[in-house]
Amino acid sequence: MNNPIIKLSTLLMLSALLAACGDDGDTGPQGPAGPQGEAGTDGQDGTDGQDGSDGQDGINGNSAVYTVQITNLTYSQPFSPAAVILHESGFHSFNEGEPASMGIEIMAEGGDPSMVITEAMDSTDFLDAQNSGGILGPRSMGAELTLVVPELDSDDLRLTVTTMLVNTNDAFTGLNAANVSNMAVGDIKTFMTVTWDAGTEANTETAATMPGPAASAAGGGGEAAGYDVVRGDLADAVRLHQGVVTSANADDPSREGLSTSVLTEAHRFDFPTSRVVITRTR
Amino acid sequence: MKFTKLASATLLSLAAVSVSQAVTLDIEITNLTQAQSFTPRLVIAHDDTVDAFEVGQPASSALAWLAEAGVIDDEQNADSSGANFEALLGPVDTDNGSNTWHRFGGLLAPKATLSYPFDTMDKPYLSLLSMLIPTNDAFVGMDSIEIPTEPGTYTYYLNAYDAGTELNDELNSARTDVVEAGTGNTLGGYGVPGVAGGGAPTRIVDLGTGGTGVGAQIVNGEIEDGEDGPVHIHRNALGDTDSAAGASDLDSTVHRWLNPVARIVITVPAS
Repeated sequence: MNNPIIKLSTLLMLSALLAACGDDGDTGPQGPAGPQGEAGTDGQDGTDGQDGSDGQDGINGNSAVYTVQITNLTYSQPFSPAAVILHESGFHSFNEGEPASMGIEIMAEGGDPSMVITEAMDSTDFLDAQNSGGILGPRSMGAELTLVVPELDSDDLRLTVTTMLVNTNDAFTGLNAANVSNMAVGDIKTFMTVTWDAGTEANTETAATMPGPAASAAGGGGEAAGYDVVRGDLADAVRLHQGVVTSANADDPSREGLSTSVLTEAHRFDFPTSRVVITRTR
Repeated sequence: MKFTKLASATLLSLAAVSVSQAVTLDIEITNLTQAQSFTPRLVIAHDDTVDAFEVGQPASSALAWLAEAGVIDDEQNADSSGANFEALLGPVDTDNGSNTWHRFGGLLAPKATLSYPFDTMDKPYLSLLSMLIPTNDAFVGMDSIEIPTEPGTYTYYLNAYDAGTELNDELNSARTDVVEAGTGNTLGGYGVPGVAGGGAPTRIVDLGTGGTGVGAQIVNGEIEDGEDGPVHIHRNALGDTDSAAGASDLDSTVHRWLNPVARIVITVPAS
């Protein structure tokens, strides 16, 4: 048996004996035993074990949270419930110069945005959406809507908003895939928006063809005066709106007014028609 | 010593940065309309506690004075004292803590361009307001843009807003056949009906007479002042083509506009 610790202590005891022989003359009595030697050094650690396999990804990654607020900038065009959609690049709810989808047609003629949202949900680029659910009155600020998308998608993010100007045949305002990528927490982006003509209904401005209060006051309006499956506009294509003609100046020498219109000068609007403010809150 | 040199160079560059923040901007404004003149321009450099106007919010009395009468300070109109932008912001050309402002006087005629130097006194935001004449209460507004810090030239297009403090009757204030309902006051600028600035030397045509009213109608020789706020995008003048009758005393072929109505070019100088 080879025990290094015992060997060491023997050696130490020997040196203690030698140190005790200090007398130069006769050999003196044996000195006391020396102190115990130090403990030996520890052995080396063994090699580490192998790493375990990685765990599975969590179900909920980090989320980026946004609020969207719409302000109605018009004098007397209430906005229908708004579709507010966050999505990746590549998707468009509508394209200028092309026929509107059925969702856009229903929203722009009758004010119901739900099919605009379901059409977006069918896209692989869809992330989140809100239906504001209520009418936004003229000259007023809407509530803040909250949308949540995966943090990973915040670097390629687009905002689409659609809402109808209800005292029109098929005018709508909003945003067409506006770039809101790479917003840091606390960042705010403001958009002033134009108004489109959906191109799905002629701009007759009559009580029987518009859902809003101007038509109601003239004995029409409501849901029945909204969506019509017939596409009867000059061209079946989305384009920027030219504004409403109204009955103003119908008797003026200019005769520029549309005498059959139930709209008045008060329903006129200029661009921009809405302000959309998006804030990243988390 | 290398180290000392480096340290002093750093100090020098820090000093240079702080000096470059106190910039004097060059602000160029162009009236893009064909027949609307701009009243004296109010330019404000300010922090985030100052908001000269906000869409969807009611106008202040200061905004009403500017949008109905083109008045910014006491010097222009003593009656506005205590209720105008001078009362709201503090003394002119002064560092008022939250802001500094200046009135660039005179009318800016349709299609004209003027430029001015403006010391921002280190404030981070810029707003600009001016009334459109002849209108009831239309104004062109720049709403708290962040002042660029990099030297360069920056262009902005501005919209026309309706202050919402007066109904857009579009009636010629020179008329004597109409008075304010209830008070009997003659038509004119702040607090009374009627279009301001119809006789301005920069006008394109003379206003008509005989209109019956657009946003409000004459009843028995009286016209309501009224309000149509909060602040919103102006729906444009209506006008008509009959200078002796019709609804409006404005001319539809002359006085209308579409947004944008002004272009602003800001030059940040190299320091």
